[in-house]
This record gives sequence, structure tokens and C-alpha cells, in this order.
Amino acid sequence: MTPRPEPGSAECLALFERLSEFIDGELDEDTCRRIRAHIADCAPCEVCVETLRRTVKLCRHLHSDPVPAELHTRLQDLVKKYVDTADG
Amino acid sequence: MPQKRTRPNREDADFELIRAINGGRPELFGELVRRYEGRLYNFGLKMCGDVQDAEDMVQDTFLNVFRYLKGFRYETRFRNWLYRIAASACIKKRRKSKFAPRREISLEDLHPVEGDTPPAELPSWASEPLDEVLNQELSRTLREAILAMPENYRVVLLLRDIEGFSTAETARILGLTPANIKTRLHRARLYLRQQLQRYFDHDTQT
Repeated sequence: MTPRPEPGSAECLALFERLSEFIDGELDEDTCRRIRAHIADCAPCEVCVETLRRTVKLCRHLHSDPVPAELHTRLQDLVKKYVDTADG
Repeated sequence: MPQKRTRPNREDADFELIRAINGGRPELFGELVRRYEGRLYNFGLKMCGDVQDAEDMVQDTFLNVFRYLKGFRYETRFRNWLYRIAASACIKKRRKSKFAPRREISLEDLHPVEGDTPPAELPSWASEPLDEVLNQELSRTLREAILAMPENYRVVLLLRDIEGFSTAETARILGLTPANIKTRLHRARLYLRQQLQRYFDHDTQT
């Protein structure tokens, strides 16, 4: 039976450096399998993966601000200038 | 003899519009602006942290699109080309500002601290439903943390995790290697996670 990894072990640190690639699905299947096996046995690393995953999700769901009316007007003027230049 | 496979269709949703604009319908430039003004403004706001700078960046970006659209070569998605212009405009703007020192985020600073027992239980901010966690105050905290990050990390985080570009696309937009993008993205995410942890730790202590 493989011993449980010590939290903070070299294995944990190696995983820590590849966490983003892991959650982005950018690692090969063998490496992913090794990481999944490690996480299953190492609660702190599982927390590390899940909190990083949540950080990314929070970024993806940040609300957007509406375009200020003044900017919209400035852009419409730019469009008008573009049309005039092209027509002229 | 097996048929030679055709190249995947790289046509993107904007090509038709750009062809029409370049083909003699300049009034459609307005539609191109409408498609991207909101996204670009929000990108600029998160990148520059200032409404005026974000507005100027959007205007400068469309001015450059306006100048160079005729030369657009349909070899990359229009969106990628647009963000290359926008990212470069943001970086130029920030460099002019006095408060934009370039610094690095060290991975060692983000490692779990030696001697500390890493948490073995998932904190509530990572386990509760997203819409219950992401309130206005957290949004503000997250935006401030993004802004506090060095710009060479911030731009990568914004392009990858907010604008949704792939590693390869982000590398092409910024003229960096994919390996460099991955390194910066990972450090930026770890930095943000650290800020979130501090925010929630403080919250549970008060």
C-alpha cells in the first residue's frame, strides 16, 4: 500500500506548481491520473485545487459595467468620421 | 487514394462584417463598435483601474482598428487582433502612469507557509453556490486584487480567465511563449486566491 503523502511534501509542491494546467485540462492523461490519485489521499492538496478552481470561476463570473454614455457618444462620432472619410 | 483533409474553417463571426466594411459599406463599422465596445471597456477598466483611462483606451483601440482594418488578413480571429491592439494600448497607458512599477510575483511567496498546517477542509467560499458567494463586496475585493497585481500578470489573467482566450491565443496576443503565459497565469491565480483567503479569513474573525 502506498503511504499517504505528508502535507507539504515534495509531491505536494510539485503538484502545486502544475495546478493551473491541471484545472485547465492542459496536462497529459498520465499526469492527470497521478494528480487525481494524490488529491484523493491528500486533503490539503484537494483544498488547494478546489479553492484555485473557485478563484477562476469567480473571475469568470465577475459582473460587467455598462458603457458610459459619454464613451458611446465618442465612439459614434468616430464611426461617423470613418464613414465620412471612406465616402470622401 | 485517401482524400486530403481540408483545413478547418477558420472563418469567425466577424469576417463577414469586416469584408462588408472593407468592400464598400463603411457604415457597418458602427456594428463592429457595438459588438465590442462593452467588452473592451470592461477589459480596460480592469486593466487600468480608471474610467477615463479605460474610455481613452477603447477610443484609441477603435481608432487603430479604423486605420488598419483594410490591412486585416483574415488569418486570425478579429477578436484576437482587436485585443492585441487593446492590450498594447493599456500597457502604454499604464507605463505613462507613475504608479505602475513592474514587479514579479514569486511562486515561493505563494507556497503554503512552512510550519503552517495547510487547511484540510474546504472553506465555505469555495463550496457554497457561486451566486451566493459572489456579492457586490466580493466583486469589489476581487477587482481591487486584480488591479493590485503587476500588469504583466494582470493582462494574462484578464485575457485567459475573464475574456476566455486560450493559452495559445493569449501567447499570440501578447507576443509571449505559451510556457510564459502558463507561468504568469498560475502565479496570478495563486495571488488572487491568497487575497480571497485573506478576505474571508478576516471576515470570519470579525
